[in-house]
Amino acid sequence: MLISPWRSIMFFLQSLLSGILTGGVYALAGIGMSLVFGVMNISNFAHGDLMMLGMYMAYFAFTLLHIDPYLSLVLIIPTAFLFGFVLEKVFIHRIISHPHQNQILLTIGLGLIMSNSALLGFTSDPKILTTSYSSSAVHIAGGISLSVPLLLSFVITCGITGVLFLFLSKTTTGLALWATSQNREAAQLMGINVAKMSALAFGLGTALAATAGALIAPTYYIHPMAGHTFLLKAFTICVLGGLGSVVGAGVGGVIIGVVESMSSTYLSSDWKDVVVFIIFLMVLLFRPQGLFGKKGEQ
Amino acid sequence: MKQVTIIAIIAGIAAVLPLVTGESPYFIGVMISVLMMAALSSAWNILGGYAGQYSFGHAAYFGAGAYTTLIMISTFNFNPLGGMVAGIIVACIIALVTGSIVFRLRGHYFGLASIAVAEIVRLSALNFEFTGGAQGILLSDVSLWGVDLNSKLPFYYGMLLVLVVSLGITLYMRSSKTGFYLQAIREDQDAAASLGINLSFYKNKALLISAALTSVLGSLYAVYIRFIDTSAVLDLRLSIEIILTAIIGGVGTLWGPAVGAVLLVPLAEVLRSNVIGEALVKHGIVSEKSGLGIFFKDNLAHAHVLVYGIITVLCILYLPKGILGLFRRTK
Repeated sequence: MLISPWRSIMFFLQSLLSGILTGGVYALAGIGMSLVFGVMNISNFAHGDLMMLGMYMAYFAFTLLHIDPYLSLVLIIPTAFLFGFVLEKVFIHRIISHPHQNQILLTIGLGLIMSNSALLGFTSDPKILTTSYSSSAVHIAGGISLSVPLLLSFVITCGITGVLFLFLSKTTTGLALWATSQNREAAQLMGINVAKMSALAFGLGTALAATAGALIAPTYYIHPMAGHTFLLKAFTICVLGGLGSVVGAGVGGVIIGVVESMSSTYLSSDWKDVVVFIIFLMVLLFRPQGLFGKKGEQ
Repeated sequence: MKQVTIIAIIAGIAAVLPLVTGESPYFIGVMISVLMMAALSSAWNILGGYAGQYSFGHAAYFGAGAYTTLIMISTFNFNPLGGMVAGIIVACIIALVTGSIVFRLRGHYFGLASIAVAEIVRLSALNFEFTGGAQGILLSDVSLWGVDLNSKLPFYYGMLLVLVVSLGITLYMRSSKTGFYLQAIREDQDAAASLGINLSFYKNKALLISAALTSVLGSLYAVYIRFIDTSAVLDLRLSIEIILTAIIGGVGTLWGPAVGAVLLVPLAEVLRSNVIGEALVKHGIVSEKSGLGIFFKDNLAHAHVLVYGIITVLCILYLPKGILGLFRRTK
């Protein structure tokens, strides 16, 4: 049977829009990782596990305290920030001048501790966070429908990204953070306390990871090993956008969201992650500095 | 004493060990795991330790060996050795693709790209039909030149042989031109390039050797266990365990990976078989009926990865050169 052109256009638009909505949340995770990379020059392999902790925080806030997952962000963001800040002060800052493989291994170790503690504490059974609006959708013109939780997540993501940009571009602390990210030595010479900036960046990165986790909690299975998939996605996003570029990570996130959604629609959802990783390798092959990265750093 | 002599002596002791201890299947089983991890980690060390290129995706080569061998045996009636050779070819192709993409780049990129390649291989094995998908591949009886492959001993000696070969290559690397080039690349890539060393050629050479050895171990493992699926042979966890073993023993040292395996594999075995949980209950430290007792009994068996995580963090913070690094400092 021939599908009418009208329907296939709608099909395409539907896929594009849901891709953009999911991509927004990916962007948030990517921005967190890119911020840490930019300021500290560390690939944070615990990022996915921090997202997983955010998912569990949203889950327990909902089941134990009966707080709506989106409202619980008010609690999750400061808690996660504090957690990341302490992690940096206790572990990460000690290896900031080590070879990068040691940094990767330390964060892998921290990630293993987090995911396997979650496995011990919360068991391996996947948990599902079902809100009253979990399966409801908004219908817009032409039979396109958008899932309510995804739409809410996207709106919140835009809000948080906006606030983050205002912070980075308007406040003194934010500008200091931005400067450290551009050139750590020069920033230090200008009297910026780069050690404080590192802890701040890691705290912010953790808060963003946990927020992304909490935002996808209502639409994904929550389990201790969930971080694994998101870690690799966050890396792809960062490399695509240019390691260390916050704007790039935002754009990269949306691109990856759309690519995933398109490949599940037109290929098969089993292969969508493969497509994402192939794009990752293509970026390394043809444009290793990423879309927004500075040339010559790779 | 020369290192060659030490390798020969230790290999000799390991070779007669099963004759002395008798064929306790459990002991031989644990020894096979130790030898396999020591060999995997030594093979990884050729690339990671001497060329300074940390691969976080060595499971791809292990899995390539394992999958190719079993597919060749069960579908095309190859004998296990033929399957092993086919596995080496597939692993080398994957290695060449990875190497040609990322060895032009430096720093974080090789590590990230090696994970991406390994994940592509894993997801492909999970989604294609000829690899058995999520169910994996089961192998029925197999024999080679009348040797009984139901016994564990052929695999014990197989793993030992690969370990000795890996150590031999590492030793050769330390005093050959290729080895010096690789160490120069590890210490300062730009300086090495300015002296006329072809960076990507030598990095690819190290990667190919490492991948081929890893793939042979994958083939041995697959025929030994006779069942493989993606979570057993292609998981990121395996890649990380290989690195941890090298790190804990000492990266870039001849014996580091073997020392790491001798320490970590039995530890994992102890945790997995839940000896600690049972001992706590037995000695009355924790009552069997109490909540804590039940919790320990149910969960401590899964805790070995958690312990790996804690060891990694402590090792990077306090012992970044590994256990052998400790001795080196006092020299």
